[in-house]
Amino acid sequence: MERRKFLKYGCAAAVAMPAASWPWAALAREVESEQDRSELHISIEPVDAEMIDGQIVYMLLFFSEDGKPRPVLRVREGDEIRIEISNNDTAPHGFAIPGIPAATSELIDPGDRREVRFTAPVGGSYLFFDPTKAPLNRILGLHGALIVEPRLGTTPAGSPTPFSRASQTPALQALFDALGTAPRFPGQKWKPGDPAREKIWVFSQTDPTLNARVASGQSVDPASIMSSFLPRYFHINGLSGFDTAVHNGTASEGIEAAEAIMPEGKQGQPTLLRTMNAGLSTHSPHIHGNHVMELSENIANGAIDVRKNILEVDVWRLSPLARKDMLLPFERPPDIPAAKWPPKEEPFPLRYVMHCHTEMSQTAGGGNYPQGLVTHWEMTAPIE
Amino acid sequence: MVIDFKKTGVKGKVTFSTFGCNVFQESPATPDKIRPDVVIERAVHTDGRWNTPDGKRVRYWGFADPLSPIAADRVAPYPSPLIRVRQGQVVHTKLKSKKNAHTIHHHGIEPTTFNDGVGHVSFEVQTEYSYQWQPAHPGTFFYHCHRNTVLHFEMGMFGMLIVDPPEGPGTLYSGGPTYQVERIWVADDVDPRWHIPNEHDAGLCGEDAGLNRFEPKYFLISGVFNNKTMLDSRVAVEAKLGDRILIRLLNASYSILRLTLGVDALLVSVDGRQLGAEPWNSPKLFPAGSRIELTTASRFDLLITPTQRGVFGVKFEFLHWITGKVQADGAGIAQTRIIVK
Repeated sequence: MERRKFLKYGCAAAVAMPAASWPWAALAREVESEQDRSELHISIEPVDAEMIDGQIVYMLLFFSEDGKPRPVLRVREGDEIRIEISNNDTAPHGFAIPGIPAATSELIDPGDRREVRFTAPVGGSYLFFDPTKAPLNRILGLHGALIVEPRLGTTPAGSPTPFSRASQTPALQALFDALGTAPRFPGQKWKPGDPAREKIWVFSQTDPTLNARVASGQSVDPASIMSSFLPRYFHINGLSGFDTAVHNGTASEGIEAAEAIMPEGKQGQPTLLRTMNAGLSTHSPHIHGNHVMELSENIANGAIDVRKNILEVDVWRLSPLARKDMLLPFERPPDIPAAKWPPKEEPFPLRYVMHCHTEMSQTAGGGNYPQGLVTHWEMTAPIE
Repeated sequence: MVIDFKKTGVKGKVTFSTFGCNVFQESPATPDKIRPDVVIERAVHTDGRWNTPDGKRVRYWGFADPLSPIAADRVAPYPSPLIRVRQGQVVHTKLKSKKNAHTIHHHGIEPTTFNDGVGHVSFEVQTEYSYQWQPAHPGTFFYHCHRNTVLHFEMGMFGMLIVDPPEGPGTLYSGGPTYQVERIWVADDVDPRWHIPNEHDAGLCGEDAGLNRFEPKYFLISGVFNNKTMLDSRVAVEAKLGDRILIRLLNASYSILRLTLGVDALLVSVDGRQLGAEPWNSPKLFPAGSRIELTTASRFDLLITPTQRGVFGVKFEFLHWITGKVQADGAGIAQTRIIVK
């Protein structure tokens, strides 16, 4: 296969957009010294996106104010949030965040803008998207992650967690208190606010036939989509396969985008995985090297349910619109012979893949294994 | 033997090509090798043939066990023969590839990268390699080929892997409950279109091999087609009142698996991790009639302690990953029973 040779995203809209480098910086800006309000501006743009095998596919994406696609919105619990959405497409769109009813916009006409105002709810991971013609506009690409940081995220014993104290369960508190304390978890506690200790994985799928129909102006009956949906590309944060990780210190789509996906750290540096599925296929993310703890899931109304029974799994189910926060403990891979830890001949970093085990998702364009929903994580060193 | 890690994904230059189309292939020595307690051999076979319920012959691949006393396991078994070891044993799994490269990934077992069997971050086995691992946790795992996994896993290159506690089979974990009857239920679905071209590397270098479209037509439990699962002793359970029955359930299909049992079941372990070993989790009861759903590659260990004699139904439904409907227009169902005498 020929490697593509040009820019990943070109903008199909008449509006000139700056060349996209990947954004993973927080967008929230504090406009008052009390730090209790956030103003966010995003836009809806049509783009021609290049898939991992070089195919160009029409998509609709959210962009941040400074022209970067797929912005991650980050706010603080209790803050008054205003999000303004500009529609630079030729069709009407909308905006909603399950679990935050007040964040639902009215229909936004082409060229128009609307705003939503809401108070940021309890800490956790949320998914925003365009709910119009559901699921059409969402799977054309109009989705993204909203992260709410808790105002008080520590356990009563003082261990940081990503969840508000009021929504924590005894199980969650026991787990986060054990990090860096229990013999099983030598090393550190989870560190909030450290991008190295928190990864956001938004999964999606693309069926180029559907996108082409929309691009050519055909009217698509949303009710017909599920039965005919045949995805050919599978993404984490819009990237696939080789592009999702750092290789030999470089990354094909920019180091920032790859680092935002690929967990990396020493033994004893637990890392939060905020996993979400914006698409229509159920995924089975499977991680090598460590089991992960399933901390939370969204319930029917979109609210966040912190688990009372936190299972340790090597594969988890991620249904369409599911959001699950997982903890990758970065513990010593338990099945390395104890007499050979740390390994002497085999060098660090230890490198372990994460891939969806519903293996059709490992393809691109009908083949090209494993250029689909895959990445890996690296353990760079043992605890001294 | 000196190991040249630069010839593998560990120290070599990882490129778009080595990631998929042209993966590292080597037959190195095992690093940090120590004396094993157990040596297991697996040899690739590509000669399996199923006789399907509708009278077709469908090819499958797998791993044979050249050391097995059971003749069938030395030829073309499906699923591949069980690996059963004990917690704390140092294990060497020696893979012998055939004319093409393959790997063994011990799914849920967490060894070093070199011993994890994923080509694009380490290497695929050209002729032979011994994977070294020492299981720390008792439980239910499996193993499978990780080359062109989408195809090789579907072609049948997988088997169960059970880690018993040092006490051996019959005990869930040290100090834990015992069981008198054990059944392994491996759910699999087969799209025969994928089994026709028999291309070891189908799709790998850019061609559209249709591997994103999976339309299963056949459904098997533990190697038994669903027209025979009701009575076949590899699937159906017979127990005496007072016995504890352990079901080790693996979803090896590309469907969401929905299990419905006519009897209460206690989920005691998931993915090879005992529930209740840590304060953040505990066993979970599924009352009779519950829908127990497993995504692909999940394992549930279910402990059943019947309180009365009788025949209890068991239904497996294979659900489509997008529509959620029962596969094959409603035919994606297998049934069996638990008889308590």
